[in-house]
Amino acid sequence: MDSTLPRITADTALYAEVLDWIHTEAELLDDLREREWLETMVSRDVTYAVPLRQTVERARGRGFSPDTYHLLETYGSLDSRVTRNETPYAWAEDPPSRIRHFVTNVRARRTDAPDVIAVKSNLLLHRTRQDQSVPQLLSAERHDELRREDGRLMLLRRDVLLDLTVIRTHNLAIFF
Amino acid sequence: MTSHTDSSAKLLNAVTEGAEKGVIPASIFGDPDLYRQELRNVFGRCWVFLAHESEIPAKGDYVLRKIGEDHFIVVRDDEGEINVLFDACRHRGVQVCRSDSGNTSHFRCPYHGWTYNTKGNLVGAPLWRNAFGGMSKEGNGLASAAKVASYQGLVFGTLDESAPPLKEYLGGMAWYLDLVFGLNEHGVEVLGPPQRFVIDANWKSGAENFSGDDYHLGTLHRSVWEIGAFPVPFHENMMGYHIQASPGHSLSFSMAQDADEPGPNYFGFPDELAQSFNTTNISADQLEVARRSRVFVGNVFPNFSMLALPMTEDGSHHPPVGILTLRTWQPHGPGQVEVWNWFAGYKNLTPEQKDRAYRAGLGTFSMGGAFEVDDTEPWITVSRTGSSTAAKLLDFQLNYEMGKPGVGISKPVKEWPGPGRVQWTRYEEGVQRNLYTFYAEMMRSAPGEWPSLAFGEDAADTGEESQA
Repeated sequence: MDSTLPRITADTALYAEVLDWIHTEAELLDDLREREWLETMVSRDVTYAVPLRQTVERARGRGFSPDTYHLLETYGSLDSRVTRNETPYAWAEDPPSRIRHFVTNVRARRTDAPDVIAVKSNLLLHRTRQDQSVPQLLSAERHDELRREDGRLMLLRRDVLLDLTVIRTHNLAIFF
Repeated sequence: MTSHTDSSAKLLNAVTEGAEKGVIPASIFGDPDLYRQELRNVFGRCWVFLAHESEIPAKGDYVLRKIGEDHFIVVRDDEGEINVLFDACRHRGVQVCRSDSGNTSHFRCPYHGWTYNTKGNLVGAPLWRNAFGGMSKEGNGLASAAKVASYQGLVFGTLDESAPPLKEYLGGMAWYLDLVFGLNEHGVEVLGPPQRFVIDANWKSGAENFSGDDYHLGTLHRSVWEIGAFPVPFHENMMGYHIQASPGHSLSFSMAQDADEPGPNYFGFPDELAQSFNTTNISADQLEVARRSRVFVGNVFPNFSMLALPMTEDGSHHPPVGILTLRTWQPHGPGQVEVWNWFAGYKNLTPEQKDRAYRAGLGTFSMGGAFEVDDTEPWITVSRTGSSTAAKLLDFQLNYEMGKPGVGISKPVKEWPGPGRVQWTRYEEGVQRNLYTFYAEMMRSAPGEWPSLAFGEDAADTGEESQA
């Protein structure tokens, strides 16, 4: 997120709208209402990426590898994932994991495009499955772009910057 | 009381006897004593896949990799040679390479500052004269793998001085690696660093699955057909060959029954790419087998697998395209495996074709992909069964009978241009029995001794064929 762009502060109606959007999204995903999330909150032009990360020296930056990903989705491939979960053969999430999105540190800025807002947030994804009592935890920084389409905010871009290089969860059949 | 060693030996005998009959003791997927022995006798001796040459193209390029659970630096030195260096300082055993990849002229230990060049030679240490009287640096370099070699751009290393040359170790498998990686003079490169993820499963589950477990596709991966990710119907896709390339190494081809049947060939690689395939580096027979193939999946013993097939991550917008993935099943304890997953492509693909293949691979054969997300589910419970007291007490045997003489429709094939024992239709588990037969032999071999790396000519030695 370009830090020179104007900050949308917490005392504004727009910030409240962004926060409400984030909480609504988390609720839909936690409740496995994936189809509803896709159709009401995700732009047809979406890019949804989880870049791959390596451990590198400080001088080389944060280790995110260009053009290499854990997930790289378009609306079509997200739709494939949702459709797959609707079949009775999507074993990875059936029975489904119990997932909880904890989203904090929400920072929003205007962008060069008048209808696009950039939003950074911290995500803690808490996941248990079957009789597991120790959760799988994924923590990340989310970089989102929300675009106003027909009056409502829609997810135009999401980059999930994981705080792991070796992923300690049995699959990524989940949405961040 | 039975000693640990006795218990492992008993399990290994049961594997050898069982593999012939078509049963494998479940405890091999979780027994901790057996696992420790695997680190020593399998990963400590076999040729282990480490990297693709295209990951370290320039002098000084390095990647950090593992043999068994141990860290090794795979580095291209100033003369362009690839060295595999044990990541442990000669002074106190401290890790000297702290990045997953990079480019460097040297590795410096953060503890006392001993510094090594890309050949692993000790080139300096602080106050060497005061501290060590200027003693010779020779003999104080990093330890190296006993042998390092490449085949078709695939870099392997072994810790065993007595290991046969890589080509001999690969045996018949080399012929099949050629027709995946050597179809033209450009060859293959990896598309970025590997994904890595850890799951609670035993490494052998991955190795046996990629040896040719096609039977699971219809149930576990049924959703993949439902969303149009793969173009060949399940039952047609079961037609093809299971091949025990040589002891330990197995593979599987999906192939149309009629050689000229329309549909994906060359694993679904783009037609424009296929036009560049030729017999510069391979035989006409190899080229023809590749042409007819829809799917190739194989495992080089112990833990290096590869897969080529037509896939798409979004069937409604993009038709399936050939993807190529390489992976290792890195042992991480008896009940844990770290999966390393690379995507690869022919170097002369256009950027658009590479992007398409990459996205298709990522959306299917990756930890977030439609295919792979389901694979980890059963493997986790195989390992749970394998470490169970019940499996031990009940002497719980798993069924590996498919394709034995009289079991199912699979039949031995005599007319086949390549090496190995060949069965037609993929309703067959001889490929996995091959994995476990060699595994047990490797586990029992005394230091310096190697099990046979070729199938014997006489029928008695082949076991299954003698009954056919």
